[in-house]
Amino acid sequence: MGEVEKLNRLANRLLQMLITLIGVSFLTFCLAYLAPGDPVAMLLESADTIVSEEVLEKTRAELGLDKPFLVQYGNWVVGILHGDMGMSYSAKKPVFEKLSEGFVGTVLLALVTIIFVLIISLPLGIWSAVNQNKWQDYLVRVLSFIGVSMPNFWLGLILLYIFGLKLGWFPIASSTVTLQGIILPAITLAIYQSTKYVRQVRTVILDELHQDYVIGARARGLSESAILWKHILPNAVLPLITLLGMSIGWLLGGVAVIEIVFSWPGIGNMAVRAIMMRDYPLIEGFVLWIAVAYMFINFLVDLSYSYLDPKLRKGI
Amino acid sequence: MKLRKKLLAAMLSAGILFTGCGGDNAGGGTSKGGDPNVLKVGVTNFADTLEPTQNYFGWVVMRYGLGECLTKFDEKMNIQPWLAENWSVSDDRLTWTFKIRDNVKFSNGDALTADAVKQSIERAFAKNTRAATFFEYSSITADGQNLIIQTKKPLPGMPGYLADPLFIIVDVAAENGRDFSKEGPICTGPYTVESFVKERAVMKRNENYWAGEVPYQTVEIPSIDDPNTRAMALQAGDVDVAVNIAAGDIDIFKNNDKFHIDEISSLRVVLARLNQNPDHILSDAKVRAALIAGCDRETYNDVLLKGTFIPGKAPVPPSLDYGFAQLTDPNAYNPERAKQLLTEAGWTDSNNDGILDKDGRNLTLDFVVYNSRAELPLYAEAVQADLKKLGFDIKINTVDYNLIDNMGIKGEYDLLISNITTANTGDPEIFLSWYWKTNVDGNNPQNGSGYSNPEYDAKLEQLSMEFDKDARRNLIIELQQILLNDGAALFFGYPQTNIINAKYVDGVKMYPSDYYWITNLIKPAK
Repeated sequence: MGEVEKLNRLANRLLQMLITLIGVSFLTFCLAYLAPGDPVAMLLESADTIVSEEVLEKTRAELGLDKPFLVQYGNWVVGILHGDMGMSYSAKKPVFEKLSEGFVGTVLLALVTIIFVLIISLPLGIWSAVNQNKWQDYLVRVLSFIGVSMPNFWLGLILLYIFGLKLGWFPIASSTVTLQGIILPAITLAIYQSTKYVRQVRTVILDELHQDYVIGARARGLSESAILWKHILPNAVLPLITLLGMSIGWLLGGVAVIEIVFSWPGIGNMAVRAIMMRDYPLIEGFVLWIAVAYMFINFLVDLSYSYLDPKLRKGI
Repeated sequence: MKLRKKLLAAMLSAGILFTGCGGDNAGGGTSKGGDPNVLKVGVTNFADTLEPTQNYFGWVVMRYGLGECLTKFDEKMNIQPWLAENWSVSDDRLTWTFKIRDNVKFSNGDALTADAVKQSIERAFAKNTRAATFFEYSSITADGQNLIIQTKKPLPGMPGYLADPLFIIVDVAAENGRDFSKEGPICTGPYTVESFVKERAVMKRNENYWAGEVPYQTVEIPSIDDPNTRAMALQAGDVDVAVNIAAGDIDIFKNNDKFHIDEISSLRVVLARLNQNPDHILSDAKVRAALIAGCDRETYNDVLLKGTFIPGKAPVPPSLDYGFAQLTDPNAYNPERAKQLLTEAGWTDSNNDGILDKDGRNLTLDFVVYNSRAELPLYAEAVQADLKKLGFDIKINTVDYNLIDNMGIKGEYDLLISNITTANTGDPEIFLSWYWKTNVDGNNPQNGSGYSNPEYDAKLEQLSMEFDKDARRNLIIELQQILLNDGAALFFGYPQTNIINAKYVDGVKMYPSDYYWITNLIKPAK
């Protein structure tokens, strides 16, 4: 591929990203604006206290919420272009600062969870596939069925009860980002995610097991383990990476329920509160973060394709 | 084999959870950390900064033992001196004089003067529009240790207004070079800020504290939003004190002699407004009375809500000293009387469909509910079931909390549920006028129910001018009795609030006003 073509593709990609971001931000602004409820009333009546209409009006004017919708959106866009994401109404802090407070916790939790997911689901999925329709396969399938049906906040509470309260191995409420505090929330999320992955890994490996090249390899007298590790796995990696990319994107959006159960400082709980409080600037900031995170992960997944798949790399 | 044993142990432990026989680790003389100089308090925190003039963040500044006001509320919401040792009002009721204590220092060692208090109050007015809803002043002056506030109109509730955390006294002079929102303001409370993020605060002893010894060197305050997790953290000894343990978990601590529970009725009431505008079925006083008398509120609170709510009767909760016991509810639970009232009002079941009707109109009522508070849908369903037996057809309409305010103003309901604070300033005057003072041409928009009683309005007017404490109390009792006699609303109950501590800590107390969690009265038990 020539340099010019590469640059063209990159420029194209960036343009697509920009259009997506504008679309996403406008839609979010519309939806937040159209949703019933008044951010000022939510803010001032959050303590269930009685507040007069006069104060509500004054606060609306202070926050610029008395202006027409398009003016509000326009102001926000102008701010963004100047690197200013605005002030959160409910936190009384710049949106960027508020987002970055939850950033470390969310990214770390996502990474540790993905590591656990791989550790749990790859071996189990392969084990299940190579023992198709034997007891090992049934056991894994039943376990994954149970796992996927279990609400993860409930699983989280059970794990907290056993490993935090009864055995005392982990702190019950970390409230800060610590190594000890990340284990239980990550395992809770990983168990839930793994139940889906195990089935995917199993399906992908089974598909590959029935390919002609496997029959050919067997005919050439290669051992089953050599076929699995050297031939099947490299071919199975691509669809799994796509899935993994989506999961990382999902995790980077924060997982409110788990963050609340484990008092883990992340971005998900913040987002839920922002929506409840109709905190428009914070909602917008959060959605932008999600959009950028997803696009970045997609970009990485695409890059990894061309690296891992020689056919794509060579443009075949 | 070992793994199997561990798995078995884990499964057994999970089993224990469901039988409700949880254990605890809070047996020793200190928390898990073992340091008697450190107190750990599990809370839920909504404040992102410690700037007392932003949103309601002042509540947290006070709860964490950092900020204090001129006055405070006691267990019965009576006003008590705090940074002001006494106060008086002039004969024309427009000039208040607060005498500031001589011995108080800010945590940075600067003396608390009347001038510093003046600057702090002016700062609150400059930074938050909500300040003007409490009172408006023509002037504030400092004369020695006397703070003199001239108000624009007579305000009997003035000492109570200054107890609101919005008026926490901060050292304005210290603001130069210090970011109050991040580092915390300089105040006069027993503790100062060592570090603060929303999820976790660390406070340290204020060496200049004026009101006695400060027992702990450090207070750690993790915010634990999930109530189950908070209860577990207390059981495990991760925290020594936990604020507001949920109904489902409180029994674990009640049956355990290692913990102490302080539980009181809060300042809130859950009520249903009843739409009495013309053409609405509930404009008939007899139907309203029947509706109220048909609801078994004791069972709702004692059984359905497991005693976490006190059964409702009057607008003002029993935590406030406004005659709860002496008020009589003519519409106490009495289904037979309710049936009779409906018959008297002309409602019969002419087509035998189980629903009463009159002039071709069914006894169908629209009950608007929001479910962001767990108890509200429960109350609504209980009312629906009870009233069905009398021939009412209650349609529950669940809406987003955001819509409630507007629906209340427009009167788009027959019944509309609310959970509301009755007396943030220690006095229910605003609450009583908000919902039931006659709405003349939209001058009291919150009264969308159409309730109007000239006698009630006259007494409210009298109350707004009355400064004598006993006379105010009597008026408030009379006002409540009028509402009860008129069947103006259905008062479901009053939520309880609690604070629980391991017994190696002493002096932990919950107040109705919800501002005073961490005080210097909390100390290691002897």
